[in-house]
Amino acid sequence: MTVAKFVLKRIVQIIITLMLVITVSYIMMYYSPGGFMNSNIMATVLAPLQGQNPVLYHKIMEQFESRYGLNLPLWRQVLKYIWHELTFNFGNSMQNPSLKISDQLKQSLPISSLLALGSVLLSVIIGVPLGIIAALKRNTWIDYVVSSISLAGQAIPAFVLAVIMVLLFGVVFQGILPVTGWGTWKDVILPVICLAAGNIGVVARYMRGSLIETLRLDYIRTAKAKGVKYWPMVFKHGVKNSLTAMITVIGPQFAFTVMGTIWVEQIFAIPGLGQVMQSAFTSFDYPLAITSVFLLGSMIMVINLLVDIVYALIDPRVKL
Amino acid sequence: MASSAVIKKSDAVVKKRTFHRSPFYQGWKRFKNHKLAVIGMVWVVLFLIAGIIGPYVAPYDYRSGDFLAINQGPSWQHIFGTDNVGHDMFSQILYSVRSALIIAFGATVVSFVIGIILGLWAGLRGGIADMIIMRAVDFMMTLPGFLFALILVILLGRGYTSLILAIGIPGWAGYARLIRSLVLGMRDGEMVEAARALGASQAHIARRYMLPNVIGSMGVALAFGIPGDLTQIAGLSIFGMGLQPPIPSFGNMIAQASDNILGFPWLLYFPAGIFALTLLAFLFVADGLQEAFSPKGGN
Repeated sequence: MTVAKFVLKRIVQIIITLMLVITVSYIMMYYSPGGFMNSNIMATVLAPLQGQNPVLYHKIMEQFESRYGLNLPLWRQVLKYIWHELTFNFGNSMQNPSLKISDQLKQSLPISSLLALGSVLLSVIIGVPLGIIAALKRNTWIDYVVSSISLAGQAIPAFVLAVIMVLLFGVVFQGILPVTGWGTWKDVILPVICLAAGNIGVVARYMRGSLIETLRLDYIRTAKAKGVKYWPMVFKHGVKNSLTAMITVIGPQFAFTVMGTIWVEQIFAIPGLGQVMQSAFTSFDYPLAITSVFLLGSMIMVINLLVDIVYALIDPRVKL
Repeated sequence: MASSAVIKKSDAVVKKRTFHRSPFYQGWKRFKNHKLAVIGMVWVVLFLIAGIIGPYVAPYDYRSGDFLAINQGPSWQHIFGTDNVGHDMFSQILYSVRSALIIAFGATVVSFVIGIILGLWAGLRGGIADMIIMRAVDFMMTLPGFLFALILVILLGRGYTSLILAIGIPGWAGYARLIRSLVLGMRDGEMVEAARALGASQAHIARRYMLPNVIGSMGVALAFGIPGDLTQIAGLSIFGMGLQPPIPSFGNMIAQASDNILGFPWLLYFPAGIFALTLLAFLFVADGLQEAFSPKGGN
């Protein structure tokens, strides 16, 4: 299969998956008890009105429903959402009716993407050398230390690390790095470290396993027999070949990191996609919630597609 | 992959005949050599005990705050200190252990039951059912389960049962895929074929040959599932969509503590520390089980 055909097929798959995601999540939200008008913010305003002036109340509700298409039959609402999301016409949110969702996302999406990509990058930069060391010093104390650390990084979720970081840099080492807010380059450091910790573990473990397996292969034995020195053998023949397999972990890791991002943003008070999602979900803001789910899903799937393409390009053994 | 696993596993069965040692005994012996896993096991057992007897030994009720003693540091009355409405943190943690265990185990069981039914169905029936189920698995695996959990929480609410379902339902795909691959590897495996040729009944084959060989892999998958679910519960709380606040949970405590961390850092030490250690312990146990019981784990 040619690359173009493969990419086309995958894009069609991604679109179908996104349509399914929008449908499933919209139907679930549609049937959820409560709605935006019953959520905490609106209820305080509207509940008294319902008793005092029922006519006005119904008028407001009607206007609200027709504005967001809530008076249409469910299947038409779903189709409307699918069409609007896929054409990137996100409309307005319910919380800020005057603000376009696309404007709101223009600020938050780059922040979350920066955090996610930065942490994946950092985890590769640190995880790969750790994995190589562990593989070469297999079954020695170095290997055990690296394995335990990477297991610990994997076990402790990003939000727990984040609160520990806030404690460390907010209380113990006050003033070195900022622990809340967003603005300067310094604000990026702590969240990225928290997000990368889990991935470092995964990358290191995977690299270790992959390198050990590669070093057992026949061509390594041949290289050894031919008299290739140890380090060139390890790096040129071993690491280079096990690195290509590493690329496949990045896809799932990215998905994992994106979810970590929305947690870490809560702790560090970073105005990213996580904050947008949180306010959307807790106040039943359907357009915003669906849009954030759509964006997260498409981000993850597009990265997965890119990973597959890169993998096929650099490893001639892989066929698309 | 699967077939090589079968061959190695069948070796284990032959050994069992000759040495009269069950695979469980051998696995347990390997598990015991894994020091971190044993330490993790001790912690997990302590955690389980705390979850079972916690509410009976907790010195204070989780609902009643002592307004005269808010935001206190650790002392003899309140060994872990008190929070901003005077809740005793030690009691809060004991109750949280229970709520965390109920939801994590419940959710893992829900995922596992759905996974086992769909996995068996896909593996045994094949054909169109297999294709549809595997498509659904792919769909679930592309997106993080947490995303589905969030939407399910909106639909179901924030009680115990709803959280068990919200975290459990999206988690089935991994189990289904594992069980399907085990079934496929087993159904056409030499060992089962040989047993069938010797005239063994279907029930005998299932009990004697299939179950012992799949139970290790499934146990490992379950052991990895529980810490994952624990993380998701706490993650939902961080997001403001976990257990409804009067019920204590690790996520709620961590989220609350991070709000006033600069003034009262001890509110964080114990919940975050115990939570992190627990996850670590579960993962060490799971890792040990994997090395002890998975086909590749032999020394």
